Order: sequence, then structure tokens, then C-alpha cells
Amino acid sequence: MESIVKKRIQQVRKGDQDAFGEIVELFKDRVYHVCFRMLGNRHEAEDIAQEAFIRAYTNIHTFDIDRKFSTWLFRIATNLCIDRIRKKKPDYYLDAEVSGTDGLTMYSQVETDGPLPEEEVESMELQESIQKEISRLPDKYRSVIVLKYIEELSLKEISEILELPIGTVKTRIHRGREALRKQLRSI
Amino acid sequence: MNTCPEHIVLLMHDYLDEEISHENEKELKAHLQSCEACKTHFHELKKTVALVQSTSHIQAPSNFTQNVMAKLPKEKKRAGVER
Repeated sequence: MESIVKKRIQQVRKGDQDAFGEIVELFKDRVYHVCFRMLGNRHEAEDIAQEAFIRAYTNIHTFDIDRKFSTWLFRIATNLCIDRIRKKKPDYYLDAEVSGTDGLTMYSQVETDGPLPEEEVESMELQESIQKEISRLPDKYRSVIVLKYIEELSLKEISEILELPIGTVKTRIHRGREALRKQLRSI
Repeated sequence: MNTCPEHIVLLMHDYLDEEISHENEKELKAHLQSCEACKTHFHELKKTVALVQSTSHIQAPSNFTQNVMAKLPKEKKRAGVER
């Protein structure tokens, strides 16, 4: 996949905007998912994920073609998410994520039309509770937890995305896990 | 309150990061057998990880790519010519 991506990037650099559409197609789900888990809200996730791709496009000439594109793209996306989180008032996102309707639209979009079996409703509620607790984490713990457990990236990749030493990433993962442990204990 | 020895908690995290040495793992396991509080702590940590990993994968909205493409700055219109 990396070689296709590199080819498309070179086409974009030559002015072929359509080639960028293929890059968006390849990465949109991962970027959107990370933004959703970081922000806990579909609308904001879409907004920020779009912004991340637009910034990638306008800055494509600064990307070092010898490096992994996804690392660079995730760096843009996580930085935008962190900026967005910091602009919000803390008590806003504590409440905003309780989101009955938001979560429902999100899952009903994925699932079929028929009535949901009870287990699915339960698991939807569980999913919402977990998301709510992730959204309560301070942003520096939230980003490492999302990248490690949602995106399943290595410590090394996370350290490159966040531009932090591996030791710092590890400490933040430990603290994030401890904070979540306390929050999720009752589930 | 939690009175688990700090270095045992560190070993738990090393274990979860899959970066624990064989010797330390033996020490951790031996301690967990003798300490209820640590056993609970460790169990809660593993549950936390499992819960976070159980969140479903969600996809970008259907017209995501179109929307991004529509917002790109228009420049150097040579799109499609070379392909």
C-alpha cells in the first residue's frame, strides 16, 4: 500500500487533484475513527477529519516521501483534535458526550433498519459508556490511549505521531490506563 | 484504598505493554497469588484494555471524500490529464 500512496502523492504534487481523492479514500475511515474517539462526537469528528485531509493536501510538499504517510497524516489529525479539545470548556465535553441521540444515529447508520435485538441495545449502551469515559480523559492521555488501543499502533509510531520520546508515551499510556481503570471499574 | 506496592503496579504495566522480562513476570505472578488487592487491580487493568478494544470500528460518512474534494483549494488544473 505504501508504494501506491507514494505514487499518488507524487501525482498530487504535480497538480493532479484527483489522485488526492484516492488518498482520502484509503485513509478516511482510520482518520475519522481516531477523530471520533478523540472528540466523542460524530459531527466534530467529520469536521476535524476533513480539515486534516485539507491540511495534508495544502502541505503535501512538506511531507518527506521517505517516511510513512499515515504517521504524518495522524500527526495532523491528532494535533487538530487536541486543539479542538483545548478550545472547549472542560465541563462542556463532560456533558456533551452523554449524547443519547448522537450515539444512536451513529450506530443506526451502521446497522440495518429493523428493531435491534436486546443484546445489541445493551452493547450500544456499553459502547457509549466506554466512549464517554475515554472522552473524560485529559487530552494527553486520551491521544495515546486512542492511538494504542483503537488504532493499534506501536509505541514507536505513537512517539513519532505525537513527537514525544517513547518514555513519555509509555508513562502517558500507564497513567491513561490507570485513570480509565478507575472510571470503568463499575462497568 | 489502594495499597499495592508501586513496583508491582509498574510490572503490571510492563506486562500490558508486553515488555516484561521473564523474571519480572514470575515475580508479578507470584505476588498476584498472594495479594488480593493487586489481583483486583490487575484484573481491572486488563478489563479496561478489553473494554477499550471492544469499541466498534466506525466508518467515515458516505460522502466524506466528495466533501473533502469540494473543499480543496482549486489550483493547477491538470487533474486527470496524465493518468
